[in-house]
Amino acid sequence: MTAGPGNGNGGGGGIWGTCLTGVGVLAFAFLPSILFSLSRNSAPYWLDVLNTVGLYTILALSLNVILGHAGMFHMGHAAFFAIGAYATAILNTSFGWSIMATMPVAALAAGLVAAVVAWPIIHLRGDYLLIVTIGIVEIVRIAITNDIFGLTGGSNGMYGISRPSFFGFTLIKPEHFFYFIWLTVGLTVLLFHWLENSRFGRALKFIKEDTVAAESMGVNTTRYKLMAFVIGAAWAGLAGTIFASRMKTISPESFTFSESVLLFTIVILGGKGSQRGVLLGSFLVMGLPEFFRGFQDKRILVFGAALVVMMIFRPQGLLPSKPSRYRLPGTLSERYGGQEAGDKPPPLPGGDGPGPVA
Amino acid sequence: MRILSLNNVTKTFGGLVAVAGVSCGVDRGAVVGLIGPNGAGKTTVFNMITGSTRPDDGHIFFAGHSIRGLRPHRIVALGIARTFQTIRLFPGLSVLENVLSGCHCRMRSGLVSSLLRLPGQRREERLVIERAMAELEFVGLAGLWRSTAGSLAYGDQRRLEIARALATEPRLLILDEPAGGMNEQETQELAALVGSIRDRDVTIMLIEHDMGFVMPVCDQLLVMENGILIAQGTPQEIQNNPKVVEAYLGLDEDA
Ligand SMILES: Nc1ncnc2c1ncn2[C@@H]1O[C@H](COP(=O)(O)OP(=O)(O)O)[C@@H](O)[C@H]1O
Ligand SMILES: [Mg+2]
Repeated sequence: MTAGPGNGNGGGGGIWGTCLTGVGVLAFAFLPSILFSLSRNSAPYWLDVLNTVGLYTILALSLNVILGHAGMFHMGHAAFFAIGAYATAILNTSFGWSIMATMPVAALAAGLVAAVVAWPIIHLRGDYLLIVTIGIVEIVRIAITNDIFGLTGGSNGMYGISRPSFFGFTLIKPEHFFYFIWLTVGLTVLLFHWLENSRFGRALKFIKEDTVAAESMGVNTTRYKLMAFVIGAAWAGLAGTIFASRMKTISPESFTFSESVLLFTIVILGGKGSQRGVLLGSFLVMGLPEFFRGFQDKRILVFGAALVVMMIFRPQGLLPSKPSRYRLPGTLSERYGGQEAGDKPPPLPGGDGPGPVA
Repeated sequence: MRILSLNNVTKTFGGLVAVAGVSCGVDRGAVVGLIGPNGAGKTTVFNMITGSTRPDDGHIFFAGHSIRGLRPHRIVALGIARTFQTIRLFPGLSVLENVLSGCHCRMRSGLVSSLLRLPGQRREERLVIERAMAELEFVGLAGLWRSTAGSLAYGDQRRLEIARALATEPRLLILDEPAGGMNEQETQELAALVGSIRDRDVTIMLIEHDMGFVMPVCDQLLVMENGILIAQGTPQEIQNNPKVVEAYLGLDEDA
């Protein structure tokens, strides 16, 4: 990268952060082997846990575009996850499509439904939007429970969904899915990081900061909000494909309101708009309870309490998003300083620099 | 040549007539001052030109387009940019990012090229940063590009708002009380800045109470009182207009 936004969310910051992230990713890639060498019997179980965490990471990252970047309070994300999963299940079991072929259709279907339902509500203020999005997840759940169009199997759900395969290699074991899911997580992080540090991502940032000012500076605020909503939903649809083919069986219970709340919690707890935060949030919300089996069914209660505490002491989340970093090209960089260096103000040219707001 | 004309523009809030049938025109390249006592309806006129407020009645034409009822971002794209009476920066974002918000409407990268960071998108990012820095140099804030906008001194925030508006490449720049809260020296610098903006072939409309600032800077003045345009003319003519002296300028003598 020569100019433009630097590696904003690269890690701890600077070269050490990058190295640390690299080592972490490498260690993660060997995790299945490490787990198997530790214990042949329990390794598949722990890989399944990691796969669940990964899947929720993808979902939470997609919600992060809507909730974190655009600042829209959307608590119905499970609806789009469900649409993706059912699109894959229907195309695969009834029409014989291969799983990977259903993936783009699942994303498209979720994105399309999102565009249609969001169109009339996109301008609503935070609290109103929240209520309407809760309605969306209920409508979708009720529709699939009632076997809409005779395609969704009603409350029994759908079974016999195939496994994904690539060039004749079919993913069956947890370690196969581990690589599939976590590579998708990596791709998601990369694409959304690029998106965040672009004209598109900046527009969302302006909207989140002050919608009226953003509109007055020339940002088509409704269009960008709608696009953020559709992108997030489409990505949740894509996660639905992975979920359906991993479970082989899906039913309406997997896509309830509490699922939406869980995703919302991950983003808020980890840090709205921060991909590192969302990653941490997924591990805490989806992974941690596995270490305390007795605590499983009290999960919602515990995370509810954790959220309350967070809102009081650290409302920006555990790993809050950091300001984007820009680099000035060539001569400008010589004149005014290159890479952004923390929060320290630059040396002042004339002496009349930043002072307290009058 | 007329760049902007208002035709019988009217706005009421509840029972209150804020702007009552204002008709006027602005010539290309002029600096036009809109003056009048508080509550006269000046800001409301600006809000209707920029699309923030929808007129109840009347027509607004800008460079051959009827812009009445267009959303603000469309009007910005056509070439009208503004600053706010009460500063409305993005206070949590950097000075540079604030100016980049103005550049947005002249950029082209879309969703796909951003998501995939295509070469064209990266080139545009590089160019737009240079463009934003040029505007910051123009208003004298380039050295503060990485500071948080909200941490700037008051006068600097006002100038940053102007840089942000200029980044939209406007043909008409609308300044609502740009000298508000500025000290003597900053106000003088602002007058010089307005002059150099006009030298860039940008037409300017401004609201300002400080007559020491308005009189030398403006070519034309519009005077409003109680939602009505009571006079228009050169600063010389306005100073000698009995209606204006009575309604507005005369206040000083009464005090
Ligand atoms: N959004 C609004 N809602 C209700 N009344 C308003 C609104 N905006 C302005 N007004 C009223 O319209 C009148 C003109 O206001 P304004 O245009 O801000 O005056 P000026 O800028 O000349 O001081 C004032 O009486 C003000 O209270
Ligand atoms: Mg005003």
